Amino acid sequence: MTMSFSPPLVKVESLHKSYGPNIQVLKGLDIEMKPGERVVVIGPSGGGKSTLLRVIMGLEKIDSGSITFGGKPYISSAGRDKKTIIDTEVRRSIGMVFQHYTLFPHLSVLQNLILAPCKVRGEKKEIAIKRAQALLERFGLAAKANSYPAQLSGGQKQRVAIARALMLDPKLMLFDEVTSALDPELVAEVEQVILQLAAQNMPMMIVTHDMWFARNIASRVIFCAGGAVVEDGPPEQVLGSPKEERTRDFIDRVFHIRQ
Amino acid sequence: MNYSFNFNAVSFEPLLKGLIVTLELTLAANAIGLTFGFLVALLIMSRIAAIRLPAMLSVEFFRCTPAIVQIVWFFYCVPMLFDVYLDSMTMGILALGLNLTAFNAEAYRAAIQAVPREQLDAGIALGLNPFQRVLYIVLPTAFRASIPVLLTNGIGIFQQSALVAIVAIQDLMYQGKSLATETYRPIETFTVVALIYFAVSFPVTQIVGYLERRRQLLMS
Repeated sequence: MTMSFSPPLVKVESLHKSYGPNIQVLKGLDIEMKPGERVVVIGPSGGGKSTLLRVIMGLEKIDSGSITFGGKPYISSAGRDKKTIIDTEVRRSIGMVFQHYTLFPHLSVLQNLILAPCKVRGEKKEIAIKRAQALLERFGLAAKANSYPAQLSGGQKQRVAIARALMLDPKLMLFDEVTSALDPELVAEVEQVILQLAAQNMPMMIVTHDMWFARNIASRVIFCAGGAVVEDGPPEQVLGSPKEERTRDFIDRVFHIRQ
Repeated sequence: MNYSFNFNAVSFEPLLKGLIVTLELTLAANAIGLTFGFLVALLIMSRIAAIRLPAMLSVEFFRCTPAIVQIVWFFYCVPMLFDVYLDSMTMGILALGLNLTAFNAEAYRAAIQAVPREQLDAGIALGLNPFQRVLYIVLPTAFRASIPVLLTNGIGIFQQSALVAIVAIQDLMYQGKSLATETYRPIETFTVVALIYFAVSFPVTQIVGYLERRRQLLMS
């Protein structure tokens, strides 16, 4: 209740989203995220976790509902044809990292980092390069500045992707299964970087199947299934002693697989 | 077979002159094919059916008729239909260039549409506007992807250009034919002609193979 005077960072209200006429992915989802929170979204495949992140990033059309960001209207659906309206100015304050790296293969690491700052914000190239080099240094990638994505390991690519998103000083970071495509031995180096950001109070929303990571990074865990929020609470509760039976089933199964 | 080969009868000078004409045809047709192919690719990807359909139809026309028919049609029908009289070299370049335009348009289109959707998502997430996403992500990726096909099409036109000999353009094939008739040495002459075509084409196909292998490495 201490932050009740400031608006929520993200407020998702009765969000509906379907792919085509028959596949309803999100069925009236409500989420409120306070500034400084680190929300981990878990749940079965097809439950709408990734779609939720993609909608918040402004990558998807919605059927109905609305999202505000920092108290300002961000995404809504309006008019008779229910056109999705996205405030692209607001969208720029959100960064996202995807499961499949998505570095631009024709650009070097450094060029990947400075493309958006230079083209979107009109930042001077020398300044952008300086900032990029500092970020790469911080993530242990200074030696890779002039390498191309194909010359990097999966873990390195993903760290570059995180650095690239940070170049735009996002007020919220979205991580969509960023370690799912990685070889097991490379997962830790990426999670370390995200934990580093967490230590600096970067607000983030994370979709992951890695329960160890979820427990370590989350200030709050949301269990999402069937296109709606089933359980929402601190990590100890949702991951440790879930109240809802569906959550318990899921957690049991995940940990069973791991043993 | 007691044929005695006599390659001395083949004089290289006319063949060399012919090769230069063939190379001129090839380069000019490629200049047309590379630029107009790209523009036509944009037309066939248009959302507006009134632009897309005619463009698609003309591409298919060039892809679905023999090049030799197109060349002959250009030589005999264009002057009669449109009252345009151009020298035969220009006509040859136009015929080959338009043929190549159709094939290159398809190459560009395939490469543009093969750019992974995730790349565009990343562009949106980085705040690039639609124009910037095309300029900085789609086109550079697509151009690189299309290079092997464009080269293959380009060298294909080098070979197809032999067809213009039938409308009296003095290219390598035409010079070969005259030489064979003059010397009564068709076997030797056409063997040398074939070897010249091969000597130019083969390195290019090797380059294409190299580029494709390198690309697979880069994309993995």
